Amino acid sequence: MLNDNRRSRVLLYAGITAFALFAIVPYYWVIRTSFLTNIAAISPDTGFIPALSQFTLESYTQIWDRFAFVTFFRNSIIVSVTATIISLFFAIPGAYAFARLDFPGRKVLFYTAVFTIMFPWIVLTIPVYEVFYFLNLVNTLPGVIIALSIFVLPQNIWLLQGFFRQGIPENIEEAALIDGHNELTAFLRIVLPLRLPAVAAAAVCAFLPAWNNFLWVLALTPDEAVGTATVPIYYTLGSDVLREWNVLMASLVLLVAPPVIFYGLSRRYVGEGLGGTPK
Amino acid sequence: MAQLELEEVTKVFDTSAETIVAVEELSLDIDDGEFIVVVGPSGCGKSTTLRMIAGLETVTDGEIRLAGERINEKSPKDRDIAMVFQSYALYPHKTVRQNMAYGLHLSTDLDSEEIDHRVREAAEMMGIEDLLDKKPSSLSGGQQQRVATGRAIVREPSLFLFDEPLSNLDAKLRKHMRTELSRIHSEVGITTVYVTHDQEEAMTMADRIVILDQGSLQQVGEPKEVYHEPVNKFVANFIGSPSMNFVDVELERNADGSGRLVGQEFDYSVSNRLLQQIDPSVSDVVFGIRPENARIDPDAPVDGSVETTVDVVEVVGSDNFIYLDLAGKEFRVRTPSEVEPAEGETVRITFDEDDIHLFDSASGEALAHGYPDADVTATVERSDTTADD
Repeated sequence: MLNDNRRSRVLLYAGITAFALFAIVPYYWVIRTSFLTNIAAISPDTGFIPALSQFTLESYTQIWDRFAFVTFFRNSIIVSVTATIISLFFAIPGAYAFARLDFPGRKVLFYTAVFTIMFPWIVLTIPVYEVFYFLNLVNTLPGVIIALSIFVLPQNIWLLQGFFRQGIPENIEEAALIDGHNELTAFLRIVLPLRLPAVAAAAVCAFLPAWNNFLWVLALTPDEAVGTATVPIYYTLGSDVLREWNVLMASLVLLVAPPVIFYGLSRRYVGEGLGGTPK
Repeated sequence: MAQLELEEVTKVFDTSAETIVAVEELSLDIDDGEFIVVVGPSGCGKSTTLRMIAGLETVTDGEIRLAGERINEKSPKDRDIAMVFQSYALYPHKTVRQNMAYGLHLSTDLDSEEIDHRVREAAEMMGIEDLLDKKPSSLSGGQQQRVATGRAIVREPSLFLFDEPLSNLDAKLRKHMRTELSRIHSEVGITTVYVTHDQEEAMTMADRIVILDQGSLQQVGEPKEVYHEPVNKFVANFIGSPSMNFVDVELERNADGSGRLVGQEFDYSVSNRLLQQIDPSVSDVVFGIRPENARIDPDAPVDGSVETTVDVVEVVGSDNFIYLDLAGKEFRVRTPSEVEPAEGETVRITFDEDDIHLFDSASGEALAHGYPDADVTATVERSDTTADD
C-alpha cells in the first residue's frame, strides 16, 4: 500500500516536472537569446547556458535607439487599460442583468452576445475597417481602443454572468433593499464587492487579448505612431536575409513583461475568481 | 408598531408563456402587535404576499396600508420593515456586528455609539454576543438564523416579516427556535407576519392563522378556531397532523330530525343538533374526523361505530398511529401507546359526535361541526366577506 502510494507520487512528480520543463524552456530560450549578440544567437557553438562573457545588453539598447519604443509601449498601455475599463464598464451591468434579472428577449440577446465570441477575428477585420473608416476613426488611438473594447466585451459578459449566477447568496440584494439601499447601490455596495475576484479575473481576460492584439491594430493603424507595440515588433523581424533574433527576443521580453506584472499584482484576486467562491 | 391592512391585493405574473394569478383579491386586517402566520402548501401565494408587503414585488391590484398609510409605491427601505429570509441572506463579507449594524447605518441618523449599543442589546436578546466579530461563513445554521433575526430586531421596525425562517434548520432546533421567536415577539411586541408551510409552526406560534390555497384566502382565525371549525375541506385537511380522515357518505334523515351517515362499509347515527345546521336539501356530504378523535373500542354501539381492518401500526413512542383499511381507503387513528392491534386484525372504531365535521361533497365547504361552540354559519360568512369583498 505504502509502496503503491510512493510510486504513484514519484510518477506524479515526474509528470509535473516534464510538463513544467515543456512550458518553461521556450521562455528561458527567449530570455537567453535576448541577451546575446546577433551572431551568438544563431551560432550553434553557443551553449544551452551561454558563457557569461557572451551576455550583452546590445539588443535592448538597439531597440531603444531604433524604435519609438516609449511611444509604442505607451500606446499599448493606454489602449489595453482603457479597453479593459470600457469593456468592464459595460460587461458588469450587462452580465449582471443576464444572470440575475428576467426581462423580455434575455435569451436572444444573450445568445447573440455569446455567438459573437465564436466569430473569427479575421473575418471581421475588413468590415470593421470599413466602419471605422466611415467614422473617421482609422489611424487614431480612440479608434483602436473602441475596436478592442468591443471585441473583448462579449467574452467578458459571458465570463462574468457565470460568476454572477453563483456565489452570491440568495436574497442578498433583497436584504440590502430592506436595509436601505436602492437597486443600484445594492449592486454596487453589496453584490460587486462580493464578486470583485471575478471582476479581476475578467479584467485579466480583457487585458490580455487587447494587449496582444495584432491584426486589428495592423489594419486600423497604418501610421505607426498610433499603433501598439505588437505591430512594430513584427517589423523588427527585418528582412528575410538577416533576421535579428536577439532583437526580436528582446522586444518579446519587453512585450510579455507588462501582462506578467499585471497578473502578478492581481493574482490573489484572479485566483479566487477563477477558483471559485471566496470563503 | 403598526396596523397592517391588505385590501383586495392581487398579484398577477405575466410571462410570455402564461399568466399566473399568484394572489387573488386578498383582504386582511392585522392588528397592532399581532403575530400572524400565513400558511399554505407551496405555490399558494404566501411568499408572494409577504414580498408584496415588503415591497420586493409590485402589487398588481389592491392596496396595502401600514399604520393607515398606503405603501404600494414605497420602496422597501422606506417602509419601516425588517425581514428574515429562509436563506438568512447575511452579507458574507461583513462580520455579525457589521451585518446587524448595516441597516441602522444606512437608514437612520443614529451615531455609531447608539448603533453599537442597539446591536449589543439585540445580540444579547438572541444570545449571540460572543459571535459578533465572526463572519457568517464560520457560523452554524442555527447561529446564522439568530443573526438574521437579530439583524431584524435591531432595526426596531413597525413590522416584522419572516419568510420560512426555520425551514433550513433540523427538527429539534426548529422547535427550539419556535419558542424563542414567540418569546421575542412577546418581548418586543412588534406586528409580525410569518410565512411557513408547516402547520405545526402556525398552530404553535400564531395569534391568528391565515390559510391560503392557490392564491386565495381560505380562512383566518385563531389556531383553535381553524382546528375545530375549519371552513372547508382544504383547511380541515391542511391543519392537523396526521391530517383529517374523509369519508364520502350519504345523509339519510329520520322523521324526528336525527339521521344516519351511510357510506361504503360505513354507518353512523347523528343527532338532531348536528343536522339542524345543514340545509334539508343536502344529501351528499363528506364526513371528516381527525385521527386523534377516533378511537378503537370493541364495546362501542354498532350504530355509532365502524368496522375496519388494521393495515399498518406505527409506533412513535408517545402514541401509536394505526392505519386502517376502510372500504379500500386509508383511515388513520391515533391511539394511546397501549392500544396496539395486530396487523390484519378487524377492529371497531368509534368517535364522538362532538368531533365530527361534515362538508359539502361538491364545494368542500363546511356544513356542520360537532364542536359544541361551533357557529359555522358565522365563520363561513366572515371568511367569505374577507375573501370576496
